[in-house]
Formats: sequence, structure tokens, C-alpha cells
Amino acid sequence: MRQPKIIVVGGGLAGLMATIRVAEAGIPVDLFSIVPVKRSHSVCAQGGINAAKNQKGEGDTVDKHFDDTIYGGDFLANQPLVKRMCEAAPGIIDLLDRMGVMFNRTPEGLLDYRRFGGTLYHRTAFAGATTGQQLLYALDEQVRRHEAEGKVKKFEGATFLSAVIDGGGVCRGICAMDLRTMEVKTFTADAVIFATGGNGAIFGRSTNSVVCTGSAQAALFQQGVDYANGEFIQVHPTAIPGEDKLRLMSESARGEGGRVWVPRNPAEKRPPKSIPEAERFYFLEEWYPKYGNLVPRDIATRAIHRIVYQEKLGIDGQPAVYLDVTHIPRETLDRKLEGILEIYEKFLGVDPRVEPMKVFPAMHYTMGGIWVNGEDQASNVPGIYAAGECEYQYHGANRLGANSLVSCIFGGGIAGRAAVKYAKNLENSAESTPAAVFDGERKRQEEKNHKLINQDGSENPITIWRELGQVMTEHVTVTRINKDLEMTDGKIRALQERYKKINLSDRTKWSNQTLNFARELENMLVLARVITLGALARNESRGAHYKPDYPDRDDANWLKTTRAKWVNNDIQLTYEPVDISLIKPRPRRYDAAK
Amino acid sequence: MAETKQVIVKVKRQAGPKEAARWEEFSLKWRPSMNVIICLRDIAENPVTRDGKKTTPVTYDSNCLEEICGSCAMLINGKARMACSALVDQLEQPIRIEPMSKFPLVRDLAVDRQFMFESLKRVKAWIPIDGTYNLGEGPRVSPEVQEKGYPLSNCITCGNCLEVCPQVNEHNQFVGAAIISQVRLFNMHPTGAMNKSERIAAIIGPGGIQECANAQNCVHACPKGIPLTESIAEVNRDAWKQALLSWLVG
Amino acid sequence: MSSTATRPDTSYLLRKLHSFTGILPVGAFLAEHFWSNSAALVSAEKYNTVSQELQTIPFRLIVEWAAIFLPMLFHGGYGIYIWLRGKSNVSAYPWVGNWLYVTQRYTGLIAFAYIGWHLYTERWLTHGRSTYANVAADMRNPWYLTFFVVGVLASSFHLGAGIWNFLCKWGLAATVKAQQAAGRLGALVGVAFSVVGILIIISFRYDWHPFSVYLPSK
Repeated sequence: MRQPKIIVVGGGLAGLMATIRVAEAGIPVDLFSIVPVKRSHSVCAQGGINAAKNQKGEGDTVDKHFDDTIYGGDFLANQPLVKRMCEAAPGIIDLLDRMGVMFNRTPEGLLDYRRFGGTLYHRTAFAGATTGQQLLYALDEQVRRHEAEGKVKKFEGATFLSAVIDGGGVCRGICAMDLRTMEVKTFTADAVIFATGGNGAIFGRSTNSVVCTGSAQAALFQQGVDYANGEFIQVHPTAIPGEDKLRLMSESARGEGGRVWVPRNPAEKRPPKSIPEAERFYFLEEWYPKYGNLVPRDIATRAIHRIVYQEKLGIDGQPAVYLDVTHIPRETLDRKLEGILEIYEKFLGVDPRVEPMKVFPAMHYTMGGIWVNGEDQASNVPGIYAAGECEYQYHGANRLGANSLVSCIFGGGIAGRAAVKYAKNLENSAESTPAAVFDGERKRQEEKNHKLINQDGSENPITIWRELGQVMTEHVTVTRINKDLEMTDGKIRALQERYKKINLSDRTKWSNQTLNFARELENMLVLARVITLGALARNESRGAHYKPDYPDRDDANWLKTTRAKWVNNDIQLTYEPVDISLIKPRPRRYDAAK
Repeated sequence: MAETKQVIVKVKRQAGPKEAARWEEFSLKWRPSMNVIICLRDIAENPVTRDGKKTTPVTYDSNCLEEICGSCAMLINGKARMACSALVDQLEQPIRIEPMSKFPLVRDLAVDRQFMFESLKRVKAWIPIDGTYNLGEGPRVSPEVQEKGYPLSNCITCGNCLEVCPQVNEHNQFVGAAIISQVRLFNMHPTGAMNKSERIAAIIGPGGIQECANAQNCVHACPKGIPLTESIAEVNRDAWKQALLSWLVG
Repeated sequence: MSSTATRPDTSYLLRKLHSFTGILPVGAFLAEHFWSNSAALVSAEKYNTVSQELQTIPFRLIVEWAAIFLPMLFHGGYGIYIWLRGKSNVSAYPWVGNWLYVTQRYTGLIAFAYIGWHLYTERWLTHGRSTYANVAADMRNPWYLTFFVVGVLASSFHLGAGIWNFLCKWGLAATVKAQQAAGRLGALVGVAFSVVGILIIISFRYDWHPFSVYLPSK
């Protein structure tokens, strides 16, 4: 019998889970990843993984987890698959447990569960403060085992450039570039699973890792793979601003009495400690006297954005506000917040016990992504599957805390199985595809490289990227205003024009990171437009998408999935209904019982 | 007025494994909380040396930038450490940046640490589960074991412990402290313990634990504070017992 | 490597043997040697009696080779091989353990050379019948004396650090605390041997016999 072959692109949680499932089915897998898979962005997830195991006797159920997820996502997620995920979650925890994840334990030796945002139950299993890292390692180890047994072949240090799609519109493999030799090659596969993560880099700086550019998704989009709900981006209210990266600062700093403020005078030059109380603007306390600094995430996020972008009161004119814990006794700080204060000190070199921390909301999670069906993670192009953060299925308009890890593993598992089934039943295998299809794609990509390497221009890709990040962060994250979104789209299109004139400062053909970055940037610009246009069109406020001009959720007009298509080399937004067959939409409010 | 403080950075450049190495010096604009990654990005945006020569951006590995992916290990002022947590203000200038010396060079600061991943394969650093289908919960693990195992599983495979180890060099194939510590981790787990003897057999093979000479540099260099010397000692104890037994009973 | 292999690599056995021989018999012999030589601190006669006792043990040659010379040759020779396979980096990483690592190699080499010379002069040239007078005469030579002092200190250090290494490398001291304790034990042994060794040298050099007070008065 013919042996099918499957490719997985991306080695984070979803990609690894998909790989394991395919390998278990006895089908060879080629696993592509830009970085060694153990260094994937999944390592950054801190909090934990949800599953309604009801191990604390609180009466938690799968249905409650399901309801919290749908409710948290403001009813934009297709419900049946989300329900299946919640049903599968306890089994996923068991699996991870069997793989040896060092979850925190109860005295009885059982898994411990903690409470997380958006729920009333102790539903979140965790391994210290590095749950994502621990889960990724567990899957990485299993994949390594399959690799040692010859079932998996890894291509680490290779980047996906494009899918190979034949004349019939069926995916027959991929075109990838070796990041050392810069060689472009095609690889045949009957099915390809994409698990290429989020797209934080489009916002310049985010909590995402360097490789989270969304480039693969954007490349696929331009090959006819639809992209859904791009406008839904989750922002974390308090991150430590860094020029290279925004690092999460846990909300517990506010929980323990931390106060958020900015100098009243925008031209303030004094160090924070010498600014008298009267000249400090404790804006959360002033604007929300009832909750003060403990307002919910989205409120805090919007308030900080307003201070910086509308009131222009950011510290030193920079996008940052003070999160001050210096008034809290040192002994309390060391007892309750030592871990997170150490992170601040490590990366900023400033002791937050002595000097107020600077924080700012940060782009954190991509809810939208590759459009997949509500059944088995298949995209609209036969042979292409997607799982994990790069697809849109599970989080609706806002992701529930600690649901990302479970959605990655669940989605990856389903995609793996579905791809196997598809590949086995494929009438004409990829092997039978004419070589010209592969050669054509390879040449197309090689020509792009050739052009980039050889062209003379005046634009620097990093400069374009920085400008893209600035405009995206300012206008397409927390608060969205239509005229600004229009302006942003114009700016992106202008950047696309400037992109045509970029000049690579490195024209060598060995380990040329500049070339790779330039290629990613071109794709990022496209995806940035998808996000911006989706946001511009959606005249309502839902989940993480907030428009002050349309402050309410509008189910009559907008309870629908945005599905962007690439038509005639341009973005076309289409819409499709959300499957709300299981839970009837109701208003989402966290200030009252739901 | 704006700060005009400069940061002087010297980077060891090498276009490829077979090319000659050279140093380039850069003068960058100082900003608060600057780290080595930011310096490298500044160079990428404006690749011009201090004496005004045009050059190429520096090739280096990085990903998470929060010291948990293990990518950006390099030698900074002669010491192996993660670039993302190396703050300019805490470094003596000029800041010397070099690639790690114990791994094959790719280009500039990027090296190939595949050896470590291959070593993980050799010692079977995994729990051999029957399959991913639903087989119920895992074994119970006492909080005590979890508290010992968790720090070990924080290893980010950065390679700093190999870089600083005098026993890791071109003369031998020593797997290094990180791998030995993983042997301990998996042998500690109730299911993993079932394959303990296989892992021990691997770690007393060529390039195994015997190459450790107790300089204990590894534990100082580990960015995750993993008790590597403790791991080595624990595995050593199991190793000689098993070796003795295999020698006695064949 | 085959997955069913359970036999350790030869290098493993040799390394373990190297580590083990450092304690037994080499370390133990050193202890015995210091002990019997400290008879000089009592009197020349006592020293001569003790050494004659040792020089006349049955199967002397076999015992010497099997329990002393061969293990020492192996420990020293393989030690040099280990040294050559390592690459010291103490200038870049000047941590205590790293200093010990380097010092252990140099003291090992010094001790090895010293012991070889010591055997040549006190065992070979005297045909195995060295007396107090022979040793005392050698100590009059300032070069010899210097070498004695250096050799004794190097051997003592090497043994002390070796005990620490042994306890760590056999997993007998595993936790940080236990390894610190092992370090203290090693330091204690090193200092004790150094002190006793120097006292013995002084004894020979200056005919100084502080424990002669133990002798019955004439």
C-alpha cells in the first residue's frame, strides 16, 4: 500500500501534538520549525491549563467550562467544537500527567488546581509559573522519542515560505527555506498541518516571541487560505515595557495594593519618587472610585491607553504608566510578590521596591487566525490544516485565561488525526503531482529572494517594521476609532509601497537573517491590513474589540465571523454566521452574576 | 537635552564556519534598560561600525527574550550568559560579544547546539507512554518529588553549562551537566523510573558522566539556577551501583 | 549505542578506577606513610625501627608493586590523560570549584613527580633500606628540602581535594549541604596532612624530636 506523508509546520504545543498523533498512526512526519522546537513560543505561557476535573469538589463541570469559554469569548466562537474541547480537556490533563509534566501536587499526590480569571472554579492545573514550558517540553520529549525511532524527521532552522498548490487547488506540499544555506526547496506531502502561532510581531513589540510574525498565515492567505476574525487581538493590561519585548507583569502586583499613576504634568522630568502626591494622577482611582486599581483587565487596559494616547500623559511622552508598589512594606513585597518583582529587576535593572515600575498594556494573544471548519481543523484549501494560535476556532472575541494551552493540544490532536484520515483516503497522492508544480513554486520563491538580495533601494526593513508596530499598537489594539483605522490602513499601504524599495544590508547567502526578516515583513504587512480592515468594518464592541463610538455588542448585525479572502490580490471581507446552537447569547458582564 | 551617552560594543564576526573571525566595534546610543539584544537590533537597523564602515547585521539566535527559550546564549565579556537578560548598565564597556566556543559556529554569534538535542535522544529523556489515547490519570507524585523535579525540568537547553565546563571540548564527547540532570529528572518520575537502567546505561557510555571532573562551573553558569551538581552526584550514585552490578553479574 | 547495552563504557570503568585508586590504595598509603614517618618526631631510633618493620614485611616486592607502585602509576598516568582531555578556563570563570579543578591537576603532577623522585632517592638508591640518617642527610640539601616541602604540600592538597571530589563523584555527598560538608572534610584532611608533613620534614632537618618526651627516661 502507498505510504502517505504528512508535514507539520511549527513546533509549538499544537504542532508537536499533531506530530505525535500522525507518528502514532504510523505515518512519517516532516516537522518544520524556524527554531529548535524546544525553543518555541509555547514556553512563554505562564499560568496554567484549564480542565473541569472538579478536583476541589466545587461542582465544576465540562458544561461550566464550556459556558465560561463561550461567555468569555463574547459568543463569537462556534460552539460545538469548543464544547468538544472542554470535554476533552480532562483527558488532555491526564495525558500530560502521564507524559511526566511536573504539575504542582496536593499533599495526596494529585494534581493541584488554581483559580484563574473569568471563572469561579479551581480549574487550572499548573506547573510552577512556567506551565507552557513544562507542557511544551513534555510533547517535545515524546516527539524526540518518535524521532529516535525514525518516525519523525525534524527540519529545524527552516522557514516556511509557501504551500505547493496544484492546478486543482489541492495542497501537495510546501516550499521552505533553510535558514543557514538559504536554499529554497520543496517538500512533498499529502497533507500539511500549520501550527505557526500568533502574530505579535505585527504590533512591533508584544509579549510574543521573535518568531511570532504571522508570516506563514499571511503567506497562506495570499495563496487562498481564508483568515478569520483577524481583528480580535488580546491585550494584557500590564507588561513591562522593553525596547525588545514586552514582558508580562502579573496582575497580582495590583492585587497586593499597587497603585497606577502618571505625573499630571506631561513635561514632568523629575524622578517619580520626588513628584509630590498632589502632582500625581492616580487615574484609575479617580475614574473608577469603586474598584480603583482593581478594575477588570479590559477597563484597566483602556484607561491606560486613554492616558497615553488621548490625554498624552505617558511618562516622558512614552507609552508607559507607573505601577507603584513602593509604599507597600518591603517585607510584604518580598513575601507576596518576590518572583514577579525579580523579573522586573532582572530585565530593567531597577528595584521596583524602591522605584515605581513602568508598565503598559501589551499585545498578547491572537484570537483570529486561519479559517478552519468546525469539525476537524481543515482550512478551505484541501490538504491544509491548522491548529493552535494560528487558527481562529476556540476563543471567539476574547480568550479565557488558561485556555490557550488546552486549545493548542486539542486542536493539534484533532488536526493530526484528520490529516491522517485525509492523506490515507486521498485518491491521487502528492507523489503523483507533476514535478512542474513543485518547480514552479520553488522558482517563484527563489525569484523573490533573488530580487530582494539584488535590489537597490533606500528603505530599511527594520524601520518599516518599527513604524508598522507603532501604528498598529496605537490604533488597532485596545481602543479602535474608525477614522484612525482608516488612517492606519493608509499608512500600511504606504509602508507596502516603501517596502518595494527596501535595501538589504546583508546580501550574503549564508545564514542571512536580514533576508528572512524582509520576507516575513512583506507578509506581516498583509496580515496587518487584514486585522485593521476587520476592525474597521466591525462597528460594535465585542470581547477584546472595543470601539468607543460603538460601545455595545451588536448581535443583530455582528454576531458573525469575519472571513477574509484573498481575491484579485486584495483583501475581501466576507461574513458567516456563528454556530450558537448550544448556548444562547447573553450580555457579558463581569460586574454582576452572569 | 537628550542623552548623548554611548554604548561601545565589540562583536566577534565570522561569516561562516570556515571564514576568518574578526572584531567589529560599534557605537550605539545609550537608552535606559538596554540589553545586549537591543544592541544587536540597533546594529541591524544601522549596520555601520564605529569607524564608519558599512557592514552586515549580526546573525544571532533569539526568540522569547525572557530567558525561557534558551536561544540567545553567547559570551558577553567573556562569560556565557543569555543576551536578553544581559543589561548594558551592568556590563563593563566596551562590551565584548562572542559566540559560544564549545559548539560549531554557524555565523557570527549563532552556533549549532544540535549536540545537546542528540544527547537527549541518547539518554532517552522522555517518559515512554503507551500512546496518546485516553488511559486515565498518571501515577501519583508526591509534592516532595514534584518540588525536586520541577526545577530540573526548567532546563532551557541553552548550553551555558557545557560552555563553561572545562571537560567539554574537542577532545571528548562529554554530554554535559544539562543532560545528566535530565537523566535524574526522568529517573525520578514514577513511570520514568521503569526505564532507569537504560538511561543510566546511556550515561555511563562514551562521553557520559565519567567525564565530569567536578569543577562545578555548570551550577554557577546555569541561568535557571538548576542544582546541576546535585543532579550529577545523584546520577553518579546510581551509575556506579549499576556498573558494579553489571560487572558482577554480567 | 544499542538500547540494550548495560555494560558501562571502558572509559567509565577507568575513570571510576582512577577516582577510587586515589583514595584506595594511594590515599590510604599516603596516610600510612605519613603515620610511619611521623615516628621521626619521636626519635631516630623509633623511625628506624618502624621503617625496618615495613622494609621487612613478607612478600614485600609484591605488596609494594600491587598496592603502591602500580596503583600510583595508574592514578598518575591516567590523571595526566584526564588533564590533557580537559581545557582549563579558570581565568574566565574564577569560581572556587574551578580553581580546585586546576590546582588539582598541577598538584597531582607535582605530587607524581615528587613521589617518583622520592622513590628514586629513598627507595631505589637505598635499595629499600633507607634509614633516618639517609633521609636526614638528604634534607640538608636545600634543593632537596625545597622539593620535600613542595611535594608534601602538593600531595596533601591533592588528597584533600581528592576526597572532596571522590565524595561528590560517587554521589556520597549529593546535596549542596552535603557537598559543602565534604569540602570541609577535604580541607581538614589537606591541612592536617600538610601540618604533619611539614613537622616531619622539620624533624629530619633539625633533628627535632618533640615526642621524645614519650620515651622512658634513660
